[in-house]
Amino acid sequence: MNPRTRWLLIVAAAAIALIILVPLFRSQGPSVSGPAGMAGQAAPVFSLHDDRGAVVSLAQYRGKIVVMNLWASWCPPCRAEMPDLQTVAREYAKDGVVVIGVNQGESAARASAFARSLEIAFPIWIDDGQQYGRVYAALGLPTTVVIDRLGAVERGFDGPLTIEQMRSTITQAVRGT
Amino acid sequence: MLLAALVVLGVVIEVVVPGRAIYHAGWYNVALAALAIWAIASLRRVPLVAFGIGAIAFAGIASGLLGPDTRTVIGAPGTSLRVDEAGGTLVFPPLHVDQPIGASRFTATALLRSVPRTVVAIAAFDRRGAHLTITQPTGAAFLSPVLLMQNTQTIAGFTLPYDTFAVPAAHRIVKAVLFSAAQAASMPALSMVRGSVVLFDLEDDTGASIPHGIGVAPEGQLIRLGDLGLRATVMSYPAIEVTSIPDLAVLAAGFLAILIGALLTRRPWRGKIGKL
Repeated sequence: MNPRTRWLLIVAAAAIALIILVPLFRSQGPSVSGPAGMAGQAAPVFSLHDDRGAVVSLAQYRGKIVVMNLWASWCPPCRAEMPDLQTVAREYAKDGVVVIGVNQGESAARASAFARSLEIAFPIWIDDGQQYGRVYAALGLPTTVVIDRLGAVERGFDGPLTIEQMRSTITQAVRGT
Repeated sequence: MLLAALVVLGVVIEVVVPGRAIYHAGWYNVALAALAIWAIASLRRVPLVAFGIGAIAFAGIASGLLGPDTRTVIGAPGTSLRVDEAGGTLVFPPLHVDQPIGASRFTATALLRSVPRTVVAIAAFDRRGAHLTITQPTGAAFLSPVLLMQNTQTIAGFTLPYDTFAVPAAHRIVKAVLFSAAQAASMPALSMVRGSVVLFDLEDDTGASIPHGIGVAPEGQLIRLGDLGLRATVMSYPAIEVTSIPDLAVLAAGFLAILIGALLTRRPWRGKIGKL
């Protein structure tokens, strides 16, 4: 084999090897989907009004663990979950845990009446532009997002949680595990 | 030298004028490979330069044969989408911030350009005027009231964008078809309206039609269809056009190898130029 031919073979072999190998090193990360995909990211913050008209924001809860529940009055699983959220809000208040219900797309009057009918005492925010639902990639309602004391998303859940799941999740967040 | 220059030119043009279909054509890449092999064989006495030419040719051929065709990534405001060609996640800004339409940015293997797209933001109200939740069970973002209008249908000879959404509290599924101002002006039934027009078609949540459930509303104006009030706001929102380009890191390595090779073997290189 003459040197020129050998060179051509080497070049061709190297080119083929590179064409095969390079795609293997390309990132093939999973698509971000659902609130669980937000874990570890800084929690997006928007200013909203609560059901009494006061301006509120997640930023005012920095230093606390926030359990943010996205809900709407037409959603039966949201209704079923609300009393359990009220229970854990009361149980974990002493640990610096705050439960916030963020209504998606409804009027303050409707949201407030719904919360009163279930004797909900935790804050109810009105997100009529559905900003939180969009940004936290909600796949449905209810959606629950746990935000740590530093303002990062710790966990996200699509669908209703049982009270045992709420307690387990919040206990882990309080312990910082 | 001429062969090497042709190879470099054939690859660099994929970065300078990106997105042309010719770069993905088989004959273009075969020609590029043939030129590169010929150039490398001619430059075998200056291996670093030959390596550099090979690397540049490889980047171009890999992008041409393996890189995806130009595509447009459409996302709802506030959502994030993983785009492998971009090497990361694209975050679509909320509607209320200034939209970066026209901006462009290079990543290692792609050029990202934001291009304008027409989207429709919907607000729904009950009989008493209270705001209602909009959902998009089949859309890009379930809880977004912004319709991305990715589907099309033909009405009166016009190809029109449309999208569907649900108003769960009212048990309604709504189809919204967008007529541009020019399309509306050319239709006798809509010619009195100035600006874009949205046609709403309501069904109940079992898919049955609703009496008096079809209506057209000028953009920005409230229309009442049965128990439901609807208002559509037409706006421009960026989509991201992703164009694959030769890997910039490999190109940089190639150019560096050529530069170093030329400097280290100055005399032989000059001799080689003379022979070529």
